[in-house]
Amino acid sequence: MGLLLRMLLRDWRGGELSILLLALVLAVTMVSGISGFANALKDALRQESHSFLAADLAIRDARPLPSEWTELAQERGLNTAEILTFSSMTFSSDGAMVLSSVKAVSDAYPLRGFLRLSNSPFGELREAVGAPERGTVWLEPRLFALLAVEVGDLVEIGQASFTVAGAVRSEPDRAGGFLGVGPRVMLNADDIPATGVVQPGSRVSYRQLYAGDSALVAEFADELNTLLLPGQELQSVETSQPSVAQALERAERFLLLAGSLAVVLASIAVALASRRYAQRHQKHVALLKSLGSSSSRVRTLYAGSLALTWAAGLLLGWLAAWGLQSLALEAFAEQLTVKPSILAPRPYLVGAVTALVCVTCFAWPSLSRLATVSPLRVLRADLPVHAGREGRDYLIAVAAIGLLMFWYSADFELTSVVLAGLLSIALVGGVVAYLLLRGGREAGTQAGSIWRLALASLLRHGVGNALQLVVFAVAIMLLLLLALLRTSLLDGWQEQLPDDAPNHFILNLAPDEVEDVAALLDEASIRRESLYPMLRGRVVAVNDEPLPFEAEQDGPRQREANFTWSNELPPGNELVEGRWWGPAETDFVSIEAEFAENMGVKVGDQLQLRIGAAQLEAEVLSLRELDWESFKPNFFMVFPEDFLSDYPTTYMTSFYLPPDQKPLLNSLLKQHPTATVIEVDAIMEQLRSTLSQVSNAIELVLLLVLGAGALVLVAGVQSTTDIRMRESALLRALGARRNHLLGSVAIEFAALGAMAGLLAVVAGESAFWALQSFAFELEYQPTPALWPLVLLTAVGLITALGLWSCRRVVSVEPIRVLREL
Amino acid sequence: MISVSNLAKRVPIADGELTILKGINLEIKSSETVAIVGASGSGKSTLLGLLAGLDNASEGAVEIDGTNLQALDEDGRAALRAEKVGFIFQSFQLLPALTALENVMLPLELKNISDAGSRAEEFLSRVGLEQRLTHYPRQLSGGEQQRVAIARAFAGQPSILFADEPTGNLDSKTGERIADLLFELNREQGTTLVLVTHDGALAQRCQRRFEMEAGLLEEHNSTAHAVAQIG
Repeated sequence: MGLLLRMLLRDWRGGELSILLLALVLAVTMVSGISGFANALKDALRQESHSFLAADLAIRDARPLPSEWTELAQERGLNTAEILTFSSMTFSSDGAMVLSSVKAVSDAYPLRGFLRLSNSPFGELREAVGAPERGTVWLEPRLFALLAVEVGDLVEIGQASFTVAGAVRSEPDRAGGFLGVGPRVMLNADDIPATGVVQPGSRVSYRQLYAGDSALVAEFADELNTLLLPGQELQSVETSQPSVAQALERAERFLLLAGSLAVVLASIAVALASRRYAQRHQKHVALLKSLGSSSSRVRTLYAGSLALTWAAGLLLGWLAAWGLQSLALEAFAEQLTVKPSILAPRPYLVGAVTALVCVTCFAWPSLSRLATVSPLRVLRADLPVHAGREGRDYLIAVAAIGLLMFWYSADFELTSVVLAGLLSIALVGGVVAYLLLRGGREAGTQAGSIWRLALASLLRHGVGNALQLVVFAVAIMLLLLLALLRTSLLDGWQEQLPDDAPNHFILNLAPDEVEDVAALLDEASIRRESLYPMLRGRVVAVNDEPLPFEAEQDGPRQREANFTWSNELPPGNELVEGRWWGPAETDFVSIEAEFAENMGVKVGDQLQLRIGAAQLEAEVLSLRELDWESFKPNFFMVFPEDFLSDYPTTYMTSFYLPPDQKPLLNSLLKQHPTATVIEVDAIMEQLRSTLSQVSNAIELVLLLVLGAGALVLVAGVQSTTDIRMRESALLRALGARRNHLLGSVAIEFAALGAMAGLLAVVAGESAFWALQSFAFELEYQPTPALWPLVLLTAVGLITALGLWSCRRVVSVEPIRVLREL
Repeated sequence: MISVSNLAKRVPIADGELTILKGINLEIKSSETVAIVGASGSGKSTLLGLLAGLDNASEGAVEIDGTNLQALDEDGRAALRAEKVGFIFQSFQLLPALTALENVMLPLELKNISDAGSRAEEFLSRVGLEQRLTHYPRQLSGGEQQRVAIARAFAGQPSILFADEPTGNLDSKTGERIADLLFELNREQGTTLVLVTHDGALAQRCQRRFEMEAGLLEEHNSTAHAVAQIG
């Protein structure tokens, strides 16, 4: 142990261990830091996104839900709240009445997110949690106009009267769906019995909300799933807010990918650093053996040394990861309503295991081979080291990278694509490197002496250079890939949610109101989407096979849906199967693909439909995919105009209303009192802020991975530095001029950089295509504009690193370089 | 005592085999000083490597104090070296990351000797480097580096010392001083010295001299204990 510690200390003092240690520290920092940060952020964002549900988990039913479930949830350590929603007439004391959507909530509502209230209909907003006080109600702004009431006036619902206490401007859980929309009246759930409106048989939607620690919620969800009766629906953010869920899922995948790539890069850095460490220690081992040290002693010494380096790297890495997480989360503290923990154990465990795998699978093979160094090397330094098992080492390394990535990302698809990319770049890179370097030999014989020198050097170390080339190419490819994905994700979100994306919906417009409303909006220069006809309908049978009212599990059942007509494919819709109808075709329908799948419907099926009392039949002509992330009107079922035009219909559209034009809503609603306006601007702001946090997180993680990439480049350059230094020192001793040598080194690395850049562009672009198409399900667009930039950056960066690492050749006397190496 | 019988070394080359040493027989008694001279490439260093158990012979046997090196595995030979053998190399073979003192301590630490530090210090004083204990090899001249190597060789108190061109990298004056030091310590310790050199003057200081030529060994003085044979 004494010798071991002294050896380590000496190695450390002599700088021998610093790169290996640095690579390990970086591996742990990257993995623990990114994984911790990503997890913490994911939890925080998920909790934030749960505000779209006002809870982490909710259950809905048309019948009262058992109160035992609330008690059970509370026993399990969860918070609970209850909501009842139903339609009811609201009367003013002057006798005005409006059919409104009443929402009665318990005091704990909402469990996630906030209500936005104001004291007057479109007054200053404030955030609040809790139900209205008993005996009071909050009204949606337009109800003030419709009922001609003000704050402090009385309104009646059923047998009870309530004082108007304020305006409710937005509810966290009001983003999804337009079912049962009427102007909102919100009251305290304890006041419901006094109204007497909820009777057996009333159409009421009951919801129980649950929130708490994510593991407890997940357990409780599993428990509830076993208790659910038909018709009871468990809701989570994935089911209630597909757009948020999709954005989060992509962000998560990106972070996982970035983390996995950081693992790969750190592993390569560790492998390169160990290889160099082992090379530099061959002389040391030969001497130890000539002095009487056995192979097993050498092995024990280096194993011990590696174990201690692992421990030191782990501690330093953990410390750095902790610092990194604190810094990163500090940067997000203002935007995050939930303070994530930086001490959750899993990321640190992930770091420890990663470092252990790095040490055993990437560092140990090189070091263990030291035990086979012949002591005869003390007399003959040119003896080769046994290298027969290198193939096995590469296999172990690839398997380890694969397992590590899979364990880390738990995503087989992502792991396979990245692994396939790495393997193909290694394979193609090796062959291309060999061919290019061989081609260089012919060019070199005709070139000037500085070029000849550089090319000769490239060729002489063919195998080492090919390896270096592949390492450079892999590092650049991974960074390029990550940068491309990041840009694509961020641009995608920016495109889906531009600043002027529709932030209000208007529904329930009668056909004769359509022109007026369109004119009103157009006059005020409000950007709006087309006006779509909308009517409620029901699919009752498929191919004359009646659908049940209630389904076991998720099976097909009768469902109400919004129908619309259109003679063209609505913008933002994509046909995935079948075709669109022509001008004379009528009895057809186009269905949203997932909706069709849930009902078990295919193209060519006959659907039996009901609109009011009317029975209709249509053939499924196409399936469409919708962009749920846009805030534009989207319909599950679209028909040809002639098919539906005889049925009573209302119209809807969405539009962008800048905050300073909010009062326009008042005049709009005064002129069209039966129309319904849904304000989603607050929700969109929330979504925008969520996405901007995710974007920031992605930028930060990208920066970290760039750090890992840089380390790999440095380790890669250093892997051949010794031999280049020795040769350059010799050449200098033989009279080569300083500029000549530097020029030759620059040309060598520039050539390597150019080849690596070229390989990286090809492989990066291919992997980008694969990931976009299969893992992120985004549209792939080639990025030729980036190619020359990547090439130039690769050349510049690798040349600069090469010159920097060989700078001692020209700054130190050649004899010293020769003596030290 | 070192006893060599019928020793041969052949290495594979592209079109067959290259014979470096053939049919060498040799006996070296305890405390004798022996020089092996010869031109570059004559096989002297190969022979030294085989005598010290650093390499495997193609044929024949080397015995050190009755132990046949060929019968031992790599680790067995290492154990034997640790116990009985010291080295001095032409290129000094000091580890650049270690100070002079640490370089000398290295073989003692490998033997788990508890007072490695003080013993190393003592030997460094013996070679006149007591002021340079904490210096690194790169801070020492060639002669000083070789003196560190001599201190390292003798600190382990080996019974046999192999020296491969110990003055080969030094100017003649420094070389002479190093040789004086080497023979002085050798006398004091009663070590068997096997020295490979092409320096005739250095070889003359040994009791026995052999010449290597084209893989064959011939003893030069025809005194009584010449037993080297060519065959």
